[in-house]
Amino acid sequence: MKKLHFSFLKWVAVSAALISPQLMYAAQYISEPSDYLYSPRVEEGEREIDTKFGMQNPKNSQDNKLSGASIGFGYGVNSWWFTEIYGKNSWDGNTSEFDAIEWENKFQLTETGKYPVDLGFLIELERPQNRAEGYEAKYGFLLQSEWAKWQFNLNLLIKGHYLGTENQGTYLGYQGQVKYRYQPTLEFGVQAYSWLGQLNNWDPNQQQETSVGPAVFGKIKLGKKEAIVYNMSYLFGTTATSPNNTIRLQLEYEF
Amino acid sequence: MKSVSIYFFFTFIIGMSQHTSAATTDITIKIEKGHFFPSSIAIPSDTKVKLTIENHDDTPEEFDSHDLNREVLIKGNSKASIYIGPLPKGRYAFEGEFSPETAQGEIIVK
Repeated sequence: MKKLHFSFLKWVAVSAALISPQLMYAAQYISEPSDYLYSPRVEEGEREIDTKFGMQNPKNSQDNKLSGASIGFGYGVNSWWFTEIYGKNSWDGNTSEFDAIEWENKFQLTETGKYPVDLGFLIELERPQNRAEGYEAKYGFLLQSEWAKWQFNLNLLIKGHYLGTENQGTYLGYQGQVKYRYQPTLEFGVQAYSWLGQLNNWDPNQQQETSVGPAVFGKIKLGKKEAIVYNMSYLFGTTATSPNNTIRLQLEYEF
Repeated sequence: MKSVSIYFFFTFIIGMSQHTSAATTDITIKIEKGHFFPSSIAIPSDTKVKLTIENHDDTPEEFDSHDLNREVLIKGNSKASIYIGPLPKGRYAFEGEFSPETAQGEIIVK
């Protein structure tokens, strides 16, 4: 099994190395290429190596593609607290740069399935490498419900930069998802990611960033305590200021 | 104004979601020597069930069911609870992720 661990880590490292020189990054959007949809559920004792990749193609073909990736380690401390720390990489031209370190904390506020909707709260703190950006905080409520093989998610998020001189502002957004849990290795659905604008001053509809598109999900068990969990989506920008399309992929190695 | 509206909307959803509707039935499953006892449980379709899983083994076990959309770790000589349902009629398989060869079971919703 140690060999399996090593193989996976090697695969992550090679993937990151291969992807980095080919992608270019520029911070034009509130959304990030490697954003993902949060679930309020926490599993005690779960350990995971979490990798995320994403690429945003801008509306204007003369602009650079925006790309990012992250790798982190997450742990379910108890039945209501999951914490994860990860490093994020971004690209500017052909140069790969370490972008930020981020600490995510997720709190499951209700027992799984006790109420019609499971409720959680997210607090994510980021220290950008560019110190002019100060610190970034993302927080908000996470909701999840289900009926038969259908699962529904809706998250309300607030994101802001603090104690810096660049990219200041506090933004309001949401994430939504409908998923059909077809079988363990293959589930499919639709995801939506949106930033509405400043918390107290929303942008007009066409100035908001909204991307919607199909997604696939699955879990492939490797052994008694090991599994690869994946989800991938292809999102279409629905407004003038959204990326034309976004490809995002999350791969977790649970052990 | 829009921000205030969305806060009220979310508060409303959260508030409404926390009302338990169906009556809850308590069922206990034991884990002994890597097996579930009972391994087959029948419940009515309009019922919410609080499933308490008692692990009588020294080693941890994980209750895992894709059919039920539930995963929960039960430490050795400990117990954990999850809620399921109300569910449509059918069979819902579950297993112990750490000993899947022996720890198998199903919920039959009638």
